Amino acid sequence: MAKLLFIDDEESVRKVFSMSLRKEGYEVLTAENGEKGLEVFMRENPPIALVDIKMPGMDGIEVLKRIKEINSETEVIIITGHGDMDSAIKALKLDASDFLTKPVSDEALSVALKRAQKKIKLKQQLKEYTYDLENMVKAATEEIKRRYEFEKKLIHSSMDGIVATDEKGDIIIFNQGAERIFGYPRFEVVRNKNIVDVYPPWMAKEIIEGLSKGGKNFSWKETSILTKDGKEIPVRFSGAILYESGEIVGSVSFFHDLREIKKLEQELVNSERLAAIGQTVSSIAHYTKNILSGLKGGIYVADTALKEGNMARFKTGWEMIQRNVGRISNLVMDLLNYSKEREPQYQDCFPNDIAYEVCQLMEQKAKDNGIQIVKDFDPSIGKVALDPEGIHNVLLNLMSNAIDACIFDTDKRKKWWVKVGTALDGETIIFEVSDNGCGMDEEVKRKLFTSFFSTKGGKGTGLGLLVTQKIVKEHGGTIEVKSKQGEGSTFTVKIPKR
Amino acid sequence: MQKNILVADDDMDVVTFVSTVLEKSGYKVIGAKDGEEALNKIRANRPDLIILDILMPKQSGIKLYRELKTDESLKDIPVVILSAISKRTFLRSQEALTEFGGEPVPEPEVYIEKPVEPDDLAKTVSEVLSRKGG
Repeated sequence: MAKLLFIDDEESVRKVFSMSLRKEGYEVLTAENGEKGLEVFMRENPPIALVDIKMPGMDGIEVLKRIKEINSETEVIIITGHGDMDSAIKALKLDASDFLTKPVSDEALSVALKRAQKKIKLKQQLKEYTYDLENMVKAATEEIKRRYEFEKKLIHSSMDGIVATDEKGDIIIFNQGAERIFGYPRFEVVRNKNIVDVYPPWMAKEIIEGLSKGGKNFSWKETSILTKDGKEIPVRFSGAILYESGEIVGSVSFFHDLREIKKLEQELVNSERLAAIGQTVSSIAHYTKNILSGLKGGIYVADTALKEGNMARFKTGWEMIQRNVGRISNLVMDLLNYSKEREPQYQDCFPNDIAYEVCQLMEQKAKDNGIQIVKDFDPSIGKVALDPEGIHNVLLNLMSNAIDACIFDTDKRKKWWVKVGTALDGETIIFEVSDNGCGMDEEVKRKLFTSFFSTKGGKGTGLGLLVTQKIVKEHGGTIEVKSKQGEGSTFTVKIPKR
Repeated sequence: MQKNILVADDDMDVVTFVSTVLEKSGYKVIGAKDGEEALNKIRANRPDLIILDILMPKQSGIKLYRELKTDESLKDIPVVILSAISKRTFLRSQEALTEFGGEPVPEPEVYIEKPVEPDDLAKTVSEVLSRKGG
């Protein structure tokens, strides 16, 4: 039930109005003058006040002023004497919500009160809307702030360097990662330096051009930058030109520090090398054990033969000893060749002659095993500077491997061949040794150059290809292998002309 | 009756050496240079004892041993392993094969790591053969 304060000095009027207002459902508070009326107002804070303008003591206008001072939202309806328009206007100017002229009819009063209540309700709604709106704005602002903080943190905590510029290339964001990589503290560059002062010239040029002409993204590439102290740092770099509604607004660059990765790579190489050494030691031990068996066996057989006076058996034993001494000297030679740091002894020679010589050497072994040697030499090679001894070893090793691959092949229906080719490709000399023997599976191919490894049982030292690779590398060349199990292998050696 | 012994090793020097030792002790020796040849000769000759290397081309001793021990007609022939590979490595490889769904196989009668002294070899062979009731 809505409260209503009714201030009028005439008791009869108060009584009559009170009755009809109560009937309309109001809780009516009454007062016979301004002072008392204000007392009630302060105590009860009714939303609507009905005030007679002409009262002894404090008049209605004054009461209106005071009420509005206490609570400006109160709906104050003034009751004026007939024809007293001046007072009515004055009251309206003082923010009265309505006025009624005496004699006040019930209908007029009812309409005025309904209007007042409607106003109160509207005000209430408006207040609620405003409150909601304010809350919504507050929440949205906080969300934006939170996101902004989050993005700021994201940028600043990134391990990668992130540098953003405005459309002129002046730096506006320079995160911790960038500080670490470039060696500048943030305050020194942000709004103080242009990328031209910080980036390598080519990089700055690309971005500045991108900013003026509009540009593409710069995809990741490995490069290096110079720090504030002029130290070179390996990085991976990428960047982008930033647009907003089609306008170029700036650029962003990302830098990934490669120092740690390079260090890890180095460590990996070292640990692999250590593993290879361990494997080498154990394979040499294994190989030597076998040779030792052979030697001991040979001595035993020879001894036995001597006691018996059996010359045929003595020959067998003696051959065993010779063979195993041969194996040991091969191993030692391979090991020495591998460990020897030596510069190639360059001299003018004919690569085709070397290849021919090696073919001659292998001819008998190939023939014994039903393998055909095919020569395919490029006559245009002529005379070049190479280490003939080194190249001879390379070809000898590759050819004997190729012949072994044919011998090991279980497909006896094949007609085996080993092909030796030479070619000149611009400034590169190419040697190619291929066969249609047993080929290699992936596992063997992978282990080929990485560790001491042999598929030849007692026959191989597991060093041949390592020595070969070493000689090729000493010549600044490369060696590549293609192979398919059961179909054969091709080794290609490329050596740059000097 | 003279006992037959099969020696399988891809290193012919080992075959020659072992043959000489065993022939001196009065056995008849059959040589084989790889796992495949060994299995054929074992089937054909039914030797009283097999001396086996591990690392051989075509068929390794690891696989051959497994085939011998799971073949009803061959599994009672005693096997002496003679290899540069350690016994531990060999047993581990057999365990691994068993885990991959094979049936468990017994350990070899004797495991000798190379190099072997002639007297020890002769003694071992005679012990294994007499144990088998021969």
